[in-house]
Amino acid sequence: MFSALMISVGAVSGISAFLAILMVIADATIGNYGEVKITINGDHEYDVKGGKPLLGTLMEQEIFIPSACGGRGSCGLCKVTVKDGAGQYLPTELPWLSEEEQQNNVRLSCQLKVKNDMSIEIPEELFNVKEFQSKVTRIRDLTHDIKEVTLEVVDPPEINMVPGQFVQLRIPEYELTDEPVYRAYSVASNPSDTKHVELEIRLVPNGIATTYVHNYMKEGDEVIFNGPYGDFFLRETEREIVCIAGGSGMAPIKSILLSMAEKGINRRTRYFFGARSKKDLFLVEEMRRLEEELPNFQFIPALSNPEEDDQWEGETGLITDVVAKHMESGENTEAYLCGSPGMIDACVKVLSEKGIPDELIYYDKFG
Amino acid sequence: MKQSPQLQQVQENMRPGVLTLHGFLGTDKRDLVEILEEDEAEVRRLGTSHRAIADKMAYLRDRGKDGLGEFIDVAPHFEVRVDSVRGGIPSPFGGPGLIPKTNTTVRNKALEREIVYTDINIHLIGEHGFYEGKGSLFRMEPHELVEILEVETEAQQTELPPNR
Repeated sequence: MFSALMISVGAVSGISAFLAILMVIADATIGNYGEVKITINGDHEYDVKGGKPLLGTLMEQEIFIPSACGGRGSCGLCKVTVKDGAGQYLPTELPWLSEEEQQNNVRLSCQLKVKNDMSIEIPEELFNVKEFQSKVTRIRDLTHDIKEVTLEVVDPPEINMVPGQFVQLRIPEYELTDEPVYRAYSVASNPSDTKHVELEIRLVPNGIATTYVHNYMKEGDEVIFNGPYGDFFLRETEREIVCIAGGSGMAPIKSILLSMAEKGINRRTRYFFGARSKKDLFLVEEMRRLEEELPNFQFIPALSNPEEDDQWEGETGLITDVVAKHMESGENTEAYLCGSPGMIDACVKVLSEKGIPDELIYYDKFG
Repeated sequence: MKQSPQLQQVQENMRPGVLTLHGFLGTDKRDLVEILEEDEAEVRRLGTSHRAIADKMAYLRDRGKDGLGEFIDVAPHFEVRVDSVRGGIPSPFGGPGLIPKTNTTVRNKALEREIVYTDINIHLIGEHGFYEGKGSLFRMEPHELVEILEVETEAQQTELPPNR
């Protein structure tokens, strides 16, 4: 009886071991897709090792697709058009893709594995995106919940970008995350300083990245980021300019204004900045200096709920009301907005009512 | 109660790295059905419902949106700020598309207490009675929601006004 039992156990163990070995062999052979070719935009060809997600495979070729979650499939940003070689949609992609995107073969590159030759399309400007090693040279408080972080670019030694663009900061493993994550932040500095990148980062409650920046990052730290990304930049026209921002939405607008001052672009520009009370207002002196450098520039901060000790004599009310009060007409005007989706939507409505066509309202939504 | 295969699939969706980096369960090792049952009992003990809690969360979120990203006063004594970050999150229960990554911070000035919740919290509580697992970064304690957001209990809702 006992020996029969032992034989049965031995047989089951033997079969299990055999199947395990079979799975390892299958993974190494069937799962080995060998060398495959990725063709980008019809004329850039890359020989790569198959089997990994497209996002990571492209990153190994130093092609960076914007992604805020580091390839975990939780931000839905890393979309690319795959003209050939993608196969069926995966269940993990579908929540992120509209029917129109699916009809146009848009895929989520972090989920899609490279198994055979592929032909994909990405915006041409992504070829300019690089990964940078940098060093934190300064951290300062702009308000009680916004910090300014200055990064010195180390390798490659310079970054070329246009004012208004953003980079993706890599947050390393720490208490709140056991894997690196990437988050997008607009650059606040003048791009003519190719050695430095300045970011303005507001603390998001429970936010993995902003908690790291506010509570863990220190001067002297080595930091990785990639970029530049984005099509939020000053258009070269002769139109008047209206800028509207709130909170850390200050960053890209400041970059645009610094660049305008340096280049002597003296188009009539009004910058409406919304905050709740004086303690939420920042860089006012810097904006006043810009008013001196750019005679046609006017900075109009507005407090929605000034405190009694603020002794505030400036504009009060929601930023939308202040914009409506100051703008007579949107004729010959273009607008640049940066802030939360709610703030952008409300401002677009006001600007449209003033007669600025939708195609001349440029914005960078946080959402 | 035994966990159904459907709920087991939902629990799989809630694990770290499936839909979000950290998932929805935190350090909670219990089956999803046990988490749901325990919170259901807690909400009943508090004399309210998941729907009433979610409705109050959504109400304050909607009022807070008027602040355009800054804190705004909401009667009788709340301060509310609504922030957004890029992207969205699918529900681990499936449908209804992507839920925006919106954080609502509510300060109850009378109690001097603050709570932060997301749009996915509102969805999960209202539609599924799920407050996330213990140890999850975005776990909502039902009693904290009821206290800080001043969710009316069923007894309060049915109370007759005075002089009647």
